[in-house]
This record gives sequence, C-alpha cells and structure tokens, in this order.
Amino acid sequence: MALPPPDPQFVLRGTSAEVHTLHFYCGGQEPDYPILFSGSSNGLIHVWNLKTRRVDTILDGHGGKSVYWVEAIYGRDRLLSQGRNQKICLWDLAEGRNTVTDSVFTENVGFCKCSLLKVAQGHWLMAMPGKDLDEVQVLELPSKTSVCTLKPEADAKPGMPMSLKLWQPDFGSCPFLLAGYEDGSVILWNLSGGKILSRLACHQEPVMSLDFDSEKTKGVSGSSEEVLTVWSLDEQQNLKVQKTHKLVNAGIADVAIRQDKKILATAGWDHRIRIFGWKKLKPLAILDYHTATVHCVSFSDHSRPSERLLAAGSKDHRISIWSIYNQTSGALHCPLETRKPD
Amino acid sequence: MAVFDTPQEAFGILRPVCVQLTKVQTTENVERLQAQLQTVSDSALQELQEYVLFPLRFALKTPGPKRESLVQSVVQCITSILSTTCVKKQDLLQELFSELCLCLSSPSGLQPPAPLSEELKLTVIQALHVLMHSAYGDIILTLYQPSTLPHLGFAVSLLLALAEQEKAKQIKLAALKCLQVLILQCDCQEHHRPLDTVETRQCGNLFASFLPGISIALSRVITGDIKQGHMVTVSAIRLFYQTVCLVMADEQLATITQDEEKPSGEQSRLSELVVHRGPDWVKSTADKLSLLIHKIVEFASLHPHWKVRMELVELVHLLMLKCSQSLVESVGHLLKAVVGLVNDESNEVQSKCHEILRSIAELRTVAENRDLADVLSENLHSLATALPRLMNSQDDQGKFSTLSLLLGSLKLLGPKVSIVLNSAAHLQRLSKALMQVLELDVADVKIVEERRWGPEDSLGEPLGSLQHGKGQKKYFRFFIDERIFLLIQQVCRVLGYYGNLYLLVDHFMGLYNESVVYRKQAAMVLNELITGAAGLGVDVLHERETAVSTEDLKGTITSILEEYTDQANWYLTTSIDTEGTSDELTVKHSRVRAISRGAHSSSLISSSSPSSDPNPTIRSMNSNIWQICIQLEGVGCFAYVLGKEFRLLLVSVLYPVLEKAGDSTLLISQTATGTMVDVCRACGYDSVQNLINSNSDYLVNGISLNLRRVAHQPHASRVLEAMLRHSDASLLPLVEDVIRDVLSALDQFYDDRASSFLGVLSTLVAALVQWFVVVKGKEHPQEQNLEQQRKQGKGSVITPMVQEVEQFFLDYIKQKQIAEGNLPAMEEEEEEVQALPPEPEMDDSGAEGETPLPAHAQIAKDVMERCIHLLSDKSLRVRLKVLDVLEFCVIVLHLHENHLLPMAHRAWPALVTRLINDDPLVVLRAFKAEEGYETFAVTKPPQYQQPAP
Repeated sequence: MALPPPDPQFVLRGTSAEVHTLHFYCGGQEPDYPILFSGSSNGLIHVWNLKTRRVDTILDGHGGKSVYWVEAIYGRDRLLSQGRNQKICLWDLAEGRNTVTDSVFTENVGFCKCSLLKVAQGHWLMAMPGKDLDEVQVLELPSKTSVCTLKPEADAKPGMPMSLKLWQPDFGSCPFLLAGYEDGSVILWNLSGGKILSRLACHQEPVMSLDFDSEKTKGVSGSSEEVLTVWSLDEQQNLKVQKTHKLVNAGIADVAIRQDKKILATAGWDHRIRIFGWKKLKPLAILDYHTATVHCVSFSDHSRPSERLLAAGSKDHRISIWSIYNQTSGALHCPLETRKPD
Repeated sequence: MAVFDTPQEAFGILRPVCVQLTKVQTTENVERLQAQLQTVSDSALQELQEYVLFPLRFALKTPGPKRESLVQSVVQCITSILSTTCVKKQDLLQELFSELCLCLSSPSGLQPPAPLSEELKLTVIQALHVLMHSAYGDIILTLYQPSTLPHLGFAVSLLLALAEQEKAKQIKLAALKCLQVLILQCDCQEHHRPLDTVETRQCGNLFASFLPGISIALSRVITGDIKQGHMVTVSAIRLFYQTVCLVMADEQLATITQDEEKPSGEQSRLSELVVHRGPDWVKSTADKLSLLIHKIVEFASLHPHWKVRMELVELVHLLMLKCSQSLVESVGHLLKAVVGLVNDESNEVQSKCHEILRSIAELRTVAENRDLADVLSENLHSLATALPRLMNSQDDQGKFSTLSLLLGSLKLLGPKVSIVLNSAAHLQRLSKALMQVLELDVADVKIVEERRWGPEDSLGEPLGSLQHGKGQKKYFRFFIDERIFLLIQQVCRVLGYYGNLYLLVDHFMGLYNESVVYRKQAAMVLNELITGAAGLGVDVLHERETAVSTEDLKGTITSILEEYTDQANWYLTTSIDTEGTSDELTVKHSRVRAISRGAHSSSLISSSSPSSDPNPTIRSMNSNIWQICIQLEGVGCFAYVLGKEFRLLLVSVLYPVLEKAGDSTLLISQTATGTMVDVCRACGYDSVQNLINSNSDYLVNGISLNLRRVAHQPHASRVLEAMLRHSDASLLPLVEDVIRDVLSALDQFYDDRASSFLGVLSTLVAALVQWFVVVKGKEHPQEQNLEQQRKQGKGSVITPMVQEVEQFFLDYIKQKQIAEGNLPAMEEEEEEVQALPPEPEMDDSGAEGETPLPAHAQIAKDVMERCIHLLSDKSLRVRLKVLDVLEFCVIVLHLHENHLLPMAHRAWPALVTRLINDDPLVVLRAFKAEEGYETFAVTKPPQYQQPAP
C-alpha cells in the first residue's frame, strides 16, 4: 500500500480573503526568521512570520483591489507588489516601515503576473503586461526605464499574455522572456532584439501559468484544460513539447518548480495541489486540503534543504504550508500516491 | 578549719602523719594524711610535695601483695596532691608515671591490665591524667624521648586495653581521655603549651611506633557494640583522627628525608623501637590505615546517634585537611563518608558537611589533584555499577545513603562530570542504573479506572491553585520514600548542570526510543536534565564554567518536545473505551509524516509501540498513562526553563496539551491542567483563558488538521469545545473557519460520530448565544438593544420590523467602516480580525436571503441544517442533544427571520415526530424546544398551532 499523503505542516489563517499570490523570503541569517508574503483579493498584503506563524505586518496599498503578484527585492526590506488597481508598488519595509516608496502604473487590466529577474547587483528587469492587450513591457529597475516592448506581429494574434517568465542562461548573458498567451501558446522572446525566437502552441486554452528550468532548459505550463505540458528548448532556441500529462480535473492555476529542480507543484482548480518529479514528470503526491480552488503555489528558498517548504494559497482564504520531500537523503523513490481523485 | 600557709607550719602538721604512714601502711593512715592535706595551703604543699609523696610512693613500691583498697586510697591521695601542685622534676615525673602504670599491671607483667576492681582502675587512670596535667612546662616533653619509649608504650597499651576491654563506660571514657592527654592533644580548658614544629615532629616520630596499636584498637572500639554509648565512640573517633593527624601529617612527612636520624651507638637498642617515617613506611601504613578508615566510615556513617556522625565528619575534615597526601588511598572512603552525610537528617551534620565539601571544593583539590578526581570517578563508576543491585537489596534508608553518595560524588566532581561522562562505560552504567531505579510501579488499577467527569472547567481555576514543580505523585517499584525521588531528581539536575547537554540528551533520547521499558524513566530524566541545565533547582558546590545558552536549550527542548508529541508517543491507549479508535490509530502510525520524515518514520513504525498492542492490559494502560503524564510534566518543566521564550514553541505544543486536558483519564487531565498553568505562568499570561485566547490561531490550526484524521476527531472537537468555552466573540472569525471543517467532518460521519460532534456544536451555539444574544460587553450594542426589546416583550410575540433590522445593520456597517478608516494601519491580526464580520462585498452567504447574514447567524443556520438530519438519530442521547442545539440555534437566528422561518419549517416535521412517538424524555425536551420555537418564531406557519393530528 502506498503511503497516504501527509497533512499540511500548518495552515495560515486570517487573510479573510482569497489568496492570490505567495512569495517566500528566507534569505536572512539566523536571528532573522523566514517570512512569507501573501497577496489577497481584498488588496492586502500580509507579511507572515513563519516562526511564530503569525502576521507581522499588513500592507494596504492597492485600494482594496486584488493583489496578484508579490516579490521581495533587495533582501527583505523591499517588496514589489502588483494589484488590480493597475499599480505596481515598491514597498519599503526596513526597520518596521511599511510605506510605498515608488509605483508604476500599468495600463493593462489583465491578470498577468509580472516577472522579475536580477541582472546585476542592484539591477533588475521586470516584465509586465503592456498597454496594448497583447503587449509585454520590460522595465529596468530601479530606474523604471523601459527596456523594450514585446509585441507579437499583427498576424500572430496570440491574445493577451497570461503568464511571464524572465530568465537568462547564465548570469550576465542576454535575458529571455517566456510568455504564455491567451490562445494557449508559449512564446520565447529575445529581449535584446525584441524578436520572437520560438512559438509553441501547447494548449487549447489560455496558458494560466508557466515555470522554466534554465539548467535543463525545459519548462512546464498549465492551462485551464486538464493537461500539463512540459516543453524543452533546444540549442536552436526552438520550443518543443516534450511530454504532456493528463489530469483528471481541469485547470491549473499555478505551477512552480522547486529551486533544486527536483519537484514540481501545481495548483489545481479542483482544490488539490499536485506534486510531480520534475525529471520525468512522475506523479508523486496529491495534497488534498483546501476546500476551494488553489490559486498559487510557491516553494521557499531556505538555505537548509530540510526547511524548504511549499505554500499554497487558496480561494478558501487559507494558506497551507507543507513540508515535503525535503530530507537531504531525498531520492524520490517512493511514489506516494497513485490514487485517482474523484 | 585552720589553714597552714607557711611550709614550716605545714611540715609540722604533716610530718607525723607521713612518718606514721611510712611505718604502718594502712588505709587509715593514708586517709589521715589526706585529711591533713586539706589543711595545708597549695603553696606550702608545693614546697613539701616530694616529702609528702615519699610515703605514698613508698607504700606503692613495697614489695609483696597489697590490698586493693590501700592502693586505691594511696593513688587517690597522690591524685589530690598532684592536682594542686605541679611536678617540676623530670625524674619525679618519669618515676611517678611508671609507678602509676605499674599499679594496673598484672603481677605476671605480661597481661595487662590486672584483674583489679573497676574503682581502682578508674582511680589510676585519673591519677595519670592529673599527673600529665601537673607536669610543669617543658618537663612534660622529657617524657617523650626515645629513652622513655618503653614506659610510654606500656602506658598506651594499658590504656588501650582498658578502653577496649572494660565494661564500664566511665573507665572507657577515662582511658580514652587519658590517652588523648598522652598524645598531647588534650582539649581541656587548662593551658597547654603549644608545641613547635620540631617538637611536633619528634612526637610524631615517637608515636609512629604506637600508631598501629592505637589505630587498630581504636577501630575496634569504634566499631564495637552500639550499646557502649555514643560518647565512647565519639571520643574514640576523635582520638583516632588526632593520632593519625599527629603521625601522618603531610606537613611533617614532607620534612623527613631518607637518611635522617641515624641511631647513635649507645641508644641503639632503644632507637630500634623508633620508627623512621620514610616513604615506604608511609605507604604501607597508609594502606593499612585505609582499611581501618574504610571500616570506621562504614560503621559510623550509619550510626544512629548524630554526634557520632558529626565526629566522623570532623574526622574527614581533619584528615582531608592534614593528611590528604599521605592518605590518598583513603580519600575515596573519606569523601564517601562526607558526601553520604550531606543529606543527613541532622541539620548540624548537614551544614557541617556542606561547609567541608565547599572547603574541599574551594581548595580545588578535587579539580586539580588528579588523584582525587580519579578516585571520585572511580567511586562513581563502582557506585553506578552497584546501584541496581543495591536498589534491589537495600532498605529505603540504605538507598537514601547510596544515592546521597552518588549525588555528592557528582557535586564534588563538578565540571569534571562532563569529562567523566564522556566515557561511554560511565554514562552507560549510570544511565542504566537510573533507568532501573526510576522504574514506576504500574500495577495500580485505580489510575486506569479513575475517570474525569463533567466539563473541563478546571482550566478556569485561578492560577494559585496549582504549584509549579509538584507533578503527580509517582509510585516507584524500588522505593517508597519521597526523599529518594528528590535525590534522584537532584542527581539528574546536577548531571544536566555540569554535563554535556547534547551528549546526555542524545543518550537518554536513545534510551527513550530504545524500549518501552525505559521510556518513562528516560522522559523523567530528560525533564530533570533540562531543568538542571538551565541551572534551576540545582544545589551545587561550584559554578560551572559556561552556562548553556538559551538558543541551545531551545533547540534541545524543541527536539525533545517533537519526540514527546510524536504520534507514537502521545496517542497511547489509556483506556478500553477508546479501543474502537485504537486500530485506527495503528493505521495512523504508518502515515506518520509519510513524506516529510521518510527516513525517520520507518524506525518509529518498527519500534514496538505500546498503542499498537491489540489487547492492552491494565498494566500497559497504566504505564501509558504515566508516560503521557511524565511527558506533560516535561512540557511544564521546559516552559519553566524557557520562560517567555517558550511562546514560540506554543505553536506545536499548546494543542497537544489542551487535548490532554480534556482526556477522560483523571490523572492525565489533571496533569495536563497543571501543565497549562505552568505554561501560562512561564509565558507570562495572566490566566489560562488568556493563554488560550492569545494562541487561538495555533489551536485552530491543530483542530483543523486533526479533524482530517478520523481517529483524532474526538480530541479535536474537545479542544475546540475548550476554546469556545474560554474565549469571546473576537474568536469567531478564526473559529468560523474551523467550524466549517467540523461541519464537513460531521457530514462524512453522521452515523458513528455524531455524538462527539454534537458536543462541540452545542458548546458552539451556546457560545454564540452568549456572545451575540445575551451580550456582556459593549461590542454588540445592536444586539443588546434587541435583546432588551425582547426581554421587555417577553411572553408576547415580538414583531421587529424587517426594515428596522435592515436599517440597523446598514448603520452598523457604516459605523464599522468609519471605525476602520480611523485605524492608521492594521498592524495586528486581531484588529484585522475584528474588522471582519459583515463585509457585504465579499459575503457569499447572502445569496439566498436579501439581507446578508452575519457570520454567527450563518453558522447557526448551518448547524441547524445538520440538526434537522440528526433529529431522527437512533441514539436517544443524540436526539436529546440535538434538541438542545436546535433551541440555541433558534435563539441565535431569531433576529434573522427570513432565514429562520424556512429552517424552522423544515425542522418542524421531524420535531413533530419526536413529540408524538418517542421516549418520554425526548418528548419533554422536544416540547421545550417547541416552546422556544413559539417564543422566537415571529409568524407561525398555520400548522404550528396544531402540532399533533
């Protein structure tokens, strides 16, 4: 008998709204505790102290409109958040402050989350949906100057960008952008030329989320249909479907590859979190806790592998924290769950 | 009576008597002399001393057999003369000395003492005593020359024989006293000239010859019949150590060189008798003394009279002080004695021991003198080895002293404990010994039998009612005396204080996991180790070098707690009632952290867990109960150790403890309640209620997770009940979430678990009524108003206008929002939480009714829904309970008739059935519920008026 899946290590309550996005920050040294940022549909960003499992601070800066992307920048003292009030805010959290020091107005009203990439010390690139519906804009931070605007040719018609992922093969080299579009295709953009390098139509429905492993140069995308697709990028910068996995229930709201590239987590509309082995997309576990759609999953980047956690935020207002597959001995030899969800 | 002051006058008086005595030696003549002596002044007598003594000495010296009475009166007379005069001549002293001694020797000369009357013996001894005191200044020292050695030797052996063989206590005491004078250690008030170093050494040399004789004889006296009286033993011990100190003093021995004092020709025969105290001699003597000391220590430390034990302590003190080098062999025994007496019943002995131990410790002799440390660790090892056997065979008193000894050794070792325990053999033996000693008696059926009744209101008890550190009284297999447990507790704490905490915790954790047999004991030891490591409740002789840091302590405690609250160690079968769930529990074991602890759990599953035992015996259940209690006490201990730092650990600990507070076994629930109080105090909360309230988020988390596991649902619902009982309306938003979990869990298990959930539901709705309807605080003025309205109109049907209600709510929301707006930043969760209840834009519950329901009403509605189904449950108890819940629901919902009425309507048929054909009890209850209906249902549907056909 396969072992039954575990329970969450703990559950964070108190957002009192749907949780749309999660971001861990564990970089601090010992006296600093790991923190988790969560953004919810009531426009609040909660800063969770993972040691006490309580909210440290609540940030309110999106006028009650959903926050659907948060990411720490400059250690734990600066935070970027993107909300449905068409603003991307930069928060100053140092020394107990919680003020918005800067913000960018996005003209896009979609749901597409931004993507951030550190290109040099103190310099970041941020991809965000642009003014036109099908346009992606890349800004340089902290100067906020536009690096390029990526707009598909008129006849391509991929629809709106739904999910973005900036990456670069090596630190310092030219960055690329992977964007999932409304029509189900994933496009690889070269930022320096603003050109499409490759386009892969891998879903019938909009690409809800994607994540990319720049080491193995392969990525994964989920859409509102019941298929999870893994695609790879060959030397000629061509995207190719490598494998698809059929799910029982449709709808993947979020996918996340763990930093060590061993496992993959998906957030399902069927209330379940699924864990796969990243190498062969082998189903490992189905984590069943939430009572509503899971909106987001995120892995922590704790320096000690045994303390790396998985967090999932859901429509049921809860954030579940899981401690899974994080023992160092951790060969993923035992498939935990093969039971079919009903 | 006339007193003759001048020698001439005195001479005139005394002369005839003396002449008479010289001629005819009779008792009468001696008495006459004695009488005349009274009339002579001391100074005159001093002049005539020799003259007066002459006839008396002559009487003693006359050859041939003498009558005892004569000898006695003569000696008495001599005594009285000597007591008022002093001997100024060396010859006189020596002669008198030997003449007196001769009085007691048997005619054959070989077998002293002669079979004489006790009076005579006593008189002679006293005479000798007086003689020694009357010797003038340096004269006394002339007695201590190699040439007088035979005389001295004779006297010593005579006195020893008397001390040893006589029956009369008086003689024994006198002989010992006299010996004491003889070795120049008299402790009387009279002035004795202190000896200088050279003289002391001389005497030492001289007495070295007698040491074997004296020490052996004295040890026989000391270990003799207890009936001889404690005084004899005390003075014998005193004499023993004084002699030993005189001869074996390190100070003296250090000055003696190999080739000193070559015997000079003319005295060679006598000089042979003098011992040369070279290293070889010292070594062999010390060996022999060590045996005697061992014997004395063994005997005296168990002597019933405290003065004897006190004297023993004194012995140790002096020998340690003066002879610790020469008697290094015996140091072990000596320490053993003093260490063993540290916890003596007599306070004097105790404080003296403490004083001595402290002085030893301060001297650092133990820490720096390698020999001493070795001796101690050797002692420790042999003691640990013997401990299990001793625990089996000794009586409580014996065990007490054995353990005192163990404790004392550890204390003396001090910081070296950690070095000693680095040796695996030592640690192994010591820990095994502790495991055995601490074995609990688990035969008591009552422990398993005693149940907790009624709700756990004990949590609300005032803080003062339970004291920290008490714990439950435990019953051990090998001892009864509470003091023994306290000793063991101290032993563990001292270990924790000095030892390497990681090593020890690791070792005992190993034992904890090794076998069920050790588990309880190991947990007990762990609890005390931590307490000791934090330096709490330990009594030590010297400070440790480095204290354990709080961080380390916290880390250690966290890992211990993790182990304690692990499924396999926390959920044990403690009663047969739960047998139904125990198989589920067994299944649970296999899912223990299936993924996260893959490597770890395998070992747990394989270890024989007691709860997986399909047929628990009383014994095993009792054992399990104790294990849980000890672990609970551990939580209390750890909280005490960490203080406010423990707050962080509440995340994982509070839920399990609260769960146990509701356990049906009395002992467990009592202990858990005690633990809650301890935790509460340690973390600085002013009441248990406050503790629960401030940490309700942790509890909610635990409840929600445990509800997912069938076997733990009853616990979870118990915790929730406790929470609800101890909290207020501010808890609702958090609880709301969990209640949804409860309801969905109930939905899955209508058949078999309804009753356990109904408990929570009834507590819940009762709490809702209390929080939102019968308002206490000012948080819900709107409800209060309505409540008053309801009270005023009691009996009549109330008709609140729907619009009124609506308007009220709209106002309320508005005000609430204003209040929110005024808040600068919602930093605390609580504020955020309070802001919650009716937020129209996100409320999805308002879909069916036109007015959105506040959270509490929605909950009541959901609960009522379940009640409808449960009204026809087959268990009578469930049906009764449901009716209770139903009534409360109606009360909560009465303000929201748009929702109440449809629900009431749906519940009606089931209720009617209850009224018509059910157990009378239910009918009664149903009738009451129906009354509630009538009170609160605003517009009754027509069929309400005719419930039964």
